[in-house]
Amino acid sequence: MFRNNYDNDAVTFSPQGRIFQVEYAQEAVKQGSVVVGLVNKTHAVLVGLKRNAEELSSYQKKIIEIDSHMGVAIAGLASDARVLSNYMKQQSLGSRMTYGRPIPVDRIVTQIADRAQLNTQQYGKRPYGVGLLVAGVDEAGPHLFEFQPSGMIHEMVACAIGARSQMARTYLERNLEQISTSSRDELITHGLRALKETLSQDKELTVDNTSVGVVGQGATGKTESFKLYEGQQLVPLLEVLEQSDSAETREEETMEVDS
Amino acid sequence: MNHFPESWGRPRDDIYGTYNPAYLQSTGPKAHTQSPAVTGTSVIAVKFNGGVAIAADNLASYGSLARFTDVKRLRKFSDTAVVGFSGDVSDMQYMDRLLESIDIRENYSTHGNMLNAKNLHTYLSKVLYKRRSEFNPLWNHILVVGFDGDKKPFLSSADLLGTTYSAPHLATGFGAHLAVPILRRLFPEDRPTEDITKEDAVKALRECLKVLWYRDARSLDKYSLAIITEEGVEIKEDQRLENQSWAFAETIRGYGAQVV
Amino acid sequence: MVCLSRPRKLGIHRRKLISGQTSIGTGYDLSNSVFSPDGRNFQVEYAVKAVENGGTAIGIRCKDGVVLAVEKIISSKLLKPGANKRIATVDRHVGIVSSGLVPDGRHFVSRARDEASSWRNIYKSPITVPALSNRLGSYVQAFTLYSSVRPFGVTSIIGGWDSEGELAVDGQVGTGPQSGAGGKVKGAKAGGPGLYMIEPSGLYWGYYGAATGKGRQAAKAELEKLDLGSETLTLVDAVKEAARIIYVAHEDSKDKDFELEMSWISSLDGPTKGKHEEVPKELLEEAEKAAKRSLEDEDEDEGPKGNANGDERMEE
Repeated sequence: MFRNNYDNDAVTFSPQGRIFQVEYAQEAVKQGSVVVGLVNKTHAVLVGLKRNAEELSSYQKKIIEIDSHMGVAIAGLASDARVLSNYMKQQSLGSRMTYGRPIPVDRIVTQIADRAQLNTQQYGKRPYGVGLLVAGVDEAGPHLFEFQPSGMIHEMVACAIGARSQMARTYLERNLEQISTSSRDELITHGLRALKETLSQDKELTVDNTSVGVVGQGATGKTESFKLYEGQQLVPLLEVLEQSDSAETREEETMEVDS
Repeated sequence: MNHFPESWGRPRDDIYGTYNPAYLQSTGPKAHTQSPAVTGTSVIAVKFNGGVAIAADNLASYGSLARFTDVKRLRKFSDTAVVGFSGDVSDMQYMDRLLESIDIRENYSTHGNMLNAKNLHTYLSKVLYKRRSEFNPLWNHILVVGFDGDKKPFLSSADLLGTTYSAPHLATGFGAHLAVPILRRLFPEDRPTEDITKEDAVKALRECLKVLWYRDARSLDKYSLAIITEEGVEIKEDQRLENQSWAFAETIRGYGAQVV
Repeated sequence: MVCLSRPRKLGIHRRKLISGQTSIGTGYDLSNSVFSPDGRNFQVEYAVKAVENGGTAIGIRCKDGVVLAVEKIISSKLLKPGANKRIATVDRHVGIVSSGLVPDGRHFVSRARDEASSWRNIYKSPITVPALSNRLGSYVQAFTLYSSVRPFGVTSIIGGWDSEGELAVDGQVGTGPQSGAGGKVKGAKAGGPGLYMIEPSGLYWGYYGAATGKGRQAAKAELEKLDLGSETLTLVDAVKEAARIIYVAHEDSKDKDFELEMSWISSLDGPTKGKHEEVPKELLEEAEKAAKRSLEDEDEDEGPKGNANGDERMEE
């Protein structure tokens, strides 16, 4: 029997120069339920699909506020996400304490990415089994970052990770133009729509299984603090989604789209 | 009675016997860094419409000796702030290196997010407070000028204890006694900062420096002046006080060998 | 536990396999820091493989400065254009670009920044480019020594300018004496451009023109044509050449879109005043336009390109 000998730990390269343990960790991200992130000129939005282990259990949190100017959405091992998000909270608090300023988003994302990289180069450690979407604002405007277990980070205009996320990404790619010019509320609707694309036939978005996080720059240039919408707060957002969906179907009837 | 504190308020030796000096600490850690050695005197600063002006002379004294006469005590931080230092010069150099390393770190990425003067002041006051809490203070009193997060002119002070305060015009050291009253007269509380021009501010600083030069024995008539506006920082480092007049000295009475 | 015991199980007949170029199945390639019977560290060679798939990165050293350039393959339409910088600044006067595993590149840069800052703490002045390269070479080499770590999956190009002028000592407050003890030597020459490239083994050389990543062979061929050793190329021309070379090197993976990122460092009286900076937008666009034009011209009267055969050297 031929066995892959190069996948026992994160400190062994395969003959092709790959690190299998890291690639396997990326698979853990794909097991997690989907989260979507997107930005326009002023705001960054995170949208997540929550799962519950069983009927009577609560739903697993998908979006975590880090600081008033930043939040993360998680896909993968929730406990690994907690380690990383706690670290992020500490770092942002530290920045507010010593400099009296919110930590720049790219700075903190690089910090967790550097931590994750070390886990892929030292024996006795394992890569993190979680992917993050980090949304925040700083002096340079709104940002969305994707973080992967490999320690790879990318600044994105829109992104989706987790199970069946390809559907969401396809939606985002098709609507990039509208997303970048959208208003705050339209941005949320685009996020919800992308999320909806990933659902299997028998499922729909409800106030129980959906999470929305919004952060941005208000009209006066002041930061609009990170706001998490859950439960009944989602009712108006989901209503808007429904309305725009029916408007969409009407439009599509008249305008044939090639796929 | 003599000038040694340990003999103040003591029972008289001739009646009660000498005090047992074993109770006084005679050994302990070296404390060379716990008092200032080479020092700079006052720093003064004034807010004006659209910016802040700050000035300090170019002298570093070693006790009463005018030891170094080309010392730059106004330190520029990027294009966003100027820090004026009075107090120990080696501690100032230490803080300047801290600022240098922060500036290098802040410029690794190019897009936005520069520390402003207010952030810098917060940081430096924490450094000062941390060091005083370790009983090893950085022997300085600093003024930080520049702009805050709302792009408004910023001027604030921090001392060796980590105490901070802010006002439309500030002065450290001897200046706190000699310059502030002048500045208060020129720029009374009910006169808004928007009313003060850059020229007004600079003129007032020069006036104050001159008074300090007349009355502060640890000062110099060579000085540096920095002006920070939206356009950036302008530092003039080799200025000399003009139009000095020592005529007033003739009228001073009551010093040294003088008889009436 | 790592498979330290594996090599012991080897039968003698397997040795022939090794000299026959195959590393797989021998067991000598399963752990870092282990020599094979013919003196190779396969894990380092595998790390080099990771580099060979990375976007092409190059560096050009000329008399009045250094240019760094990198080809960034756009893996998704959702990436924010112009963000995700791959060239990093170390201290103020050094730039680093890596090819290979991007997170490893960041680890490398982070170490470089630590080295530069600790140098300043000790010597109160910026680290020189050769000194920095030396320290980083040692750091990378250390990751080939232990089974508890893996080698860096990057080859990094380090470009910088050591100040030719007189530098203030960090924290300096006065001008100091003009002559006598502690005074200044008139006409003393120091500083200049520096360009080095460090491989996963820790091996490094100084270069006039350096290239790594997927398109390195084509890039090397183009660099060699420039006659950089004569130091006649100006910095601005080097920027244009760098852009063109990245475009040439990209020819083999034409189906993928890419972004060109470039940075430069000039002498104190040059455009960047001794600092490492991004190439200004206008110049970058001009260089890209010229690069595209020259490729189009070549397409009309160009035959086949030189052969692409890797000559990776571990020893030396």
